[in-house]
Amino acid sequence: MARHLGATRRKSLTYSVGIDVGGTYTDLAAVGSDGAIQARKVLSTPADQSEGVAASLAALGAPPSDVGRVAHGTTVVTNLLLERRGARVVLCATSGASDLLELRRQERAALYDLSAQHPPPLVENDRVIAVHERRTPAGVTVPLTPAEAKRVAEAVAKLEPEIIVVSLLHAYDNDAHELLLADAIMDRLPGVAVVRSAQVLPEIREYERTTTAVAEGYARPRVSLYLKHLSERLTRSGYPAPEVMTSGGGMRTAAEASNAAASLALSGPAGGVVGSAAVLRAAGLRDALTIDIGGTSADAGLVLDGEPLVEPGGSVAGVPIALPRVLVETVSAGGGSIAWIDDGGALRVGPRSAGAVPGPVAFGRGGTQPTVTDAHISLGRLDAARLSGGVTLDAPAAIRAISALAEKLGASPERTAEAIIAIADAAMARALRRVSVERGIDPRSCALVAFGGGGPLHACALADLLGMNTILVPPHAGVLSALGLAIAPERRDAATSVMRAADAVDQGWFGARLDTLAMRAANASAQRLAWHARVRYAGQGHELDISCVPGDDGAVLSARFATAHAARYGFTLERSVEIVAVRVAATGDAIDVKFSASGAKKRSFAGPRVETLADATMVVAPGWKARWLEIGGWMVERL
Amino acid sequence: MKRRRVTGEGQTIRDERRKDGEFDPLDLAVMSHAVAMIAEEMGTVLERGALSPNIRERRDASSALFDVHGTMVAQAAHIPVHLGAMPESVRAVRARQPEPGDVFILNDPFHGGSHLPDLTLVEAIDIDGEIAGYTAIRAHHADVGGMSPGSMPQGATELVQEGIILPPVRLERRGVPDASMMELILANVRTPEERRGDLAAQRGACAAGAAGWRALVAREGAAHLTAACNALLAYTERRAVARLVAIGNATGSAEDMLEGDGHSNNPVPLAVKLEIRDGKLHLDFTGTSPRVRGNVNTPMAVTRAASLFVLRTLLDDDVPTNEGIARAISIVTPDDCLINAKWPSAVAAGNVETSQRVTDLLFAALADAGVAVPAQGQGTMNNITFGGEGWTFYETLGGGQGASARGAGPSAVHVGMSNTRNTPIESLERSYPILIDEYSIRRGSGGAGQFNGGDGVVRKYHVMERCTVTLLTERRTRAPRGAMGGGDGLVGRNLLNGNPLPAKCRVELSAGDVVTIETPGGGGYGKL
Repeated sequence: MARHLGATRRKSLTYSVGIDVGGTYTDLAAVGSDGAIQARKVLSTPADQSEGVAASLAALGAPPSDVGRVAHGTTVVTNLLLERRGARVVLCATSGASDLLELRRQERAALYDLSAQHPPPLVENDRVIAVHERRTPAGVTVPLTPAEAKRVAEAVAKLEPEIIVVSLLHAYDNDAHELLLADAIMDRLPGVAVVRSAQVLPEIREYERTTTAVAEGYARPRVSLYLKHLSERLTRSGYPAPEVMTSGGGMRTAAEASNAAASLALSGPAGGVVGSAAVLRAAGLRDALTIDIGGTSADAGLVLDGEPLVEPGGSVAGVPIALPRVLVETVSAGGGSIAWIDDGGALRVGPRSAGAVPGPVAFGRGGTQPTVTDAHISLGRLDAARLSGGVTLDAPAAIRAISALAEKLGASPERTAEAIIAIADAAMARALRRVSVERGIDPRSCALVAFGGGGPLHACALADLLGMNTILVPPHAGVLSALGLAIAPERRDAATSVMRAADAVDQGWFGARLDTLAMRAANASAQRLAWHARVRYAGQGHELDISCVPGDDGAVLSARFATAHAARYGFTLERSVEIVAVRVAATGDAIDVKFSASGAKKRSFAGPRVETLADATMVVAPGWKARWLEIGGWMVERL
Repeated sequence: MKRRRVTGEGQTIRDERRKDGEFDPLDLAVMSHAVAMIAEEMGTVLERGALSPNIRERRDASSALFDVHGTMVAQAAHIPVHLGAMPESVRAVRARQPEPGDVFILNDPFHGGSHLPDLTLVEAIDIDGEIAGYTAIRAHHADVGGMSPGSMPQGATELVQEGIILPPVRLERRGVPDASMMELILANVRTPEERRGDLAAQRGACAAGAAGWRALVAREGAAHLTAACNALLAYTERRAVARLVAIGNATGSAEDMLEGDGHSNNPVPLAVKLEIRDGKLHLDFTGTSPRVRGNVNTPMAVTRAASLFVLRTLLDDDVPTNEGIARAISIVTPDDCLINAKWPSAVAAGNVETSQRVTDLLFAALADAGVAVPAQGQGTMNNITFGGEGWTFYETLGGGQGASARGAGPSAVHVGMSNTRNTPIESLERSYPILIDEYSIRRGSGGAGQFNGGDGVVRKYHVMERCTVTLLTERRTRAPRGAMGGGDGLVGRNLLNGNPLPAKCRVELSAGDVVTIETPGGGGYGKL
């Protein structure tokens, strides 16, 4: 068992360390071989995230040889997509369809703003090469000749790319042309990487497959450099090379992650949902919505049956990436969101944020516009001592700013502060609703895991808005994402296209498919295998993920699909069912962690009350009671 | 800023902070999110459940929620031409004495519909045996019968030629499906199984909307919800009025014309006088053509939708989309004219093309009144419908948007009253015997200027078997105009094997034929 880190070392503890790099802080959580948890927070170093990572390890203070594993959540990909600082990519696409990045899916950037432009594509038109070849569903109509492959390779070379992306029509079905072309390019440009669309995402819909492959090419050179640099920095100091969390909640070695850059776009927030799932299981619960509230934004997620919900894809920083990702909905509502009045006389909160500088008025760093944090302070909900971190809180200034706004609204300052918080709550509740209601999940059947600096502050109000009855404020609420990384088991995924009518799927054939997949995903550590089939009615364009096991056949899958379809969409069809693909997740053993409360046992209490926690502040509203947990943290329940 | 308060009719029941019928900005924000969410969820259910590429890939559909009085309180932001048109659907249903749990289907342009392919389902939401509100979902179906495969005929002269006509009729009575009604409908279309699946998804979306509404009623209380909805509408109206007041009193007028009615190439004139006075937008379409023989006529609902859309573009992006916007607009039209046509006018192209021209007309009148608006966009949806043995396929194509003082016009997007997505080449080729030989940006088609107009697109359809194609297009002779000295965009072109086709036509195709559509560019802005 790879993860029993203490097994060979008697003398000292060894640690599984999770490090989450955020915009302001780099959080570290270390789980010792005795299962105990330690937490550290250092300032992030945006110019080179690896400095902050190293600093957080230094802050832990454990001898490097006692650190058995470093699991990393990174925002490098998110940031380079946001700032458009990726590699110089050349794209090779089928002639006649090579404008696809500019054509997008034809939607305008904003429905009613006629001048709004989409962000420009990651590869501009003059770096797209049209390839004379064509495959159709019926077969090849224009063969890719060696001469054409050579011509394209030459044209590519002239553009001096850092990396090349090849994405040809219908390559999800047959990638022979992509392979031919990639070979020709690698012959001409040895040492320059070629990304093929069928490798990155073997799925129908050329736009989504191509943008995903392009995102991979765009991010890969920088990401692999960063991970190489980080690995060297850590190994030089005697630490192990890091593993990296993927957007889908899996964990890859740094070497593997270097060639799967597009899969790291949500590496950061994924850790929080994974951490939530672990704490939830420790608390004996199964289904939860999660909310991570920071300074400028809030991330909502969903945990079902003790596992984070993983979705097939979405957009990151305006770049469509159709790869599995832990479901995370981000809204621009956090402690720094600014309150203002619009031209219809309505009070508004955000999306502008005061950020860390100038920050809320109460921080005294030049902020003049009241924020959500100021509203909390003016209501006496934030303890000055707890927010400090080098900042002296100026509560009277916060109250003055709120009062000025209140005067314009004709309301009392108290009511105005409550309204500011309530509006932020409404925006966050909408994110929570998107991750639940939109997926047919009733929030009332879920607990709410509230973490990050602001999570425990807003939890009761959010639960009230969504009709939820149980809130879990986890132990180490301030560094839960890092903790999620520290305890995430290694996970490998494999998928294969099936594309077959359920009628034609028998037990033997299906079982063989699943077994082959399991072999592909196999790794050294002990495993848990979870299979899913992507199933739809013939003619639909979207699938549902249905869990399955060897031994299932088409009839079983159809029945399970019909039940799921009725539950999600409210209807079934008398129509044949198709199995589109199957995938497996092979999961290593989880890190043993002992959630245990430090210090004296605490008494249960009923709201209203503000409770100061180790790294956050918890508001228990009227109508709620808080119960102290043996695992640390609090269970807050409706009276 | 002055203190403003909103007054609703209902009683507060939950919260002692609220006085009778008073709503504060907080309630508005919460309610706005809550109802918008339900409408969005309906759209998700439809897209994921539907079968036809026009709905599942292109999202040619819209969903909306209505309060107990039939007032629209939210529409998911999908297709502008459906905006403000769906309230007519619910009004038409309410005129038929709905009972709680009834689900109606309709497409009759003169009884709540727009054009026949748009099938609209309306559910009267049942809460404890009473109607508590309505959900409505409209989707463009790839065939509803009539004289041409795909039901977007060229040359129709009366409605009955364009497909099966459904006044509001019950698909379900108090929650119990009427199988014979469904049979009747499916017996009148060319692709019944695809329709059955799409309608099931629409039904599922209605149910999802109803479930969301019930949950909201349970949480908020019926009386409070009604009052909050009223307050939400009033808030939206206030935002619209505030914008119009900020523009100030102004008048303008404009004239434009359609390039034929599908029967003849005679231009069909449209005219408007626009006046902004004291925060209200008055539109008088006197001077617009009487109804025409071909099918570019539209019912009033479409004209209203275009007017709403144009006002909506002047508002900030966060303004809720509901009937409150309509309260700031008054419309006068000649009786039984092109844009307020009566039975038995043919209307298939009016919803998609005349709506675009009304939009162009209104923007031109705004410009004449001194309001800053972009140069003209492509001004057409480029409707292409194929039909062969056992299949029909419909799609529309984006083009150039006009440039504005803020910069260049976007390329390859729908302008005005549509915002459907494209059909992925790979999905299209897997579903139909058509290959897309080319789909590209039509470079240089946007008008030149200080800021260039957006470019149109080129799409070449290579058909693999015998079939028919019907084209309903505009801006093939009269170019989208530039603004403030900017150049015009290029007109669009339709070609069969390289030879020109008319703007509106139906052609029988043989295997191997190639139909090419080049869509118009947008107008440029400002002198070079």
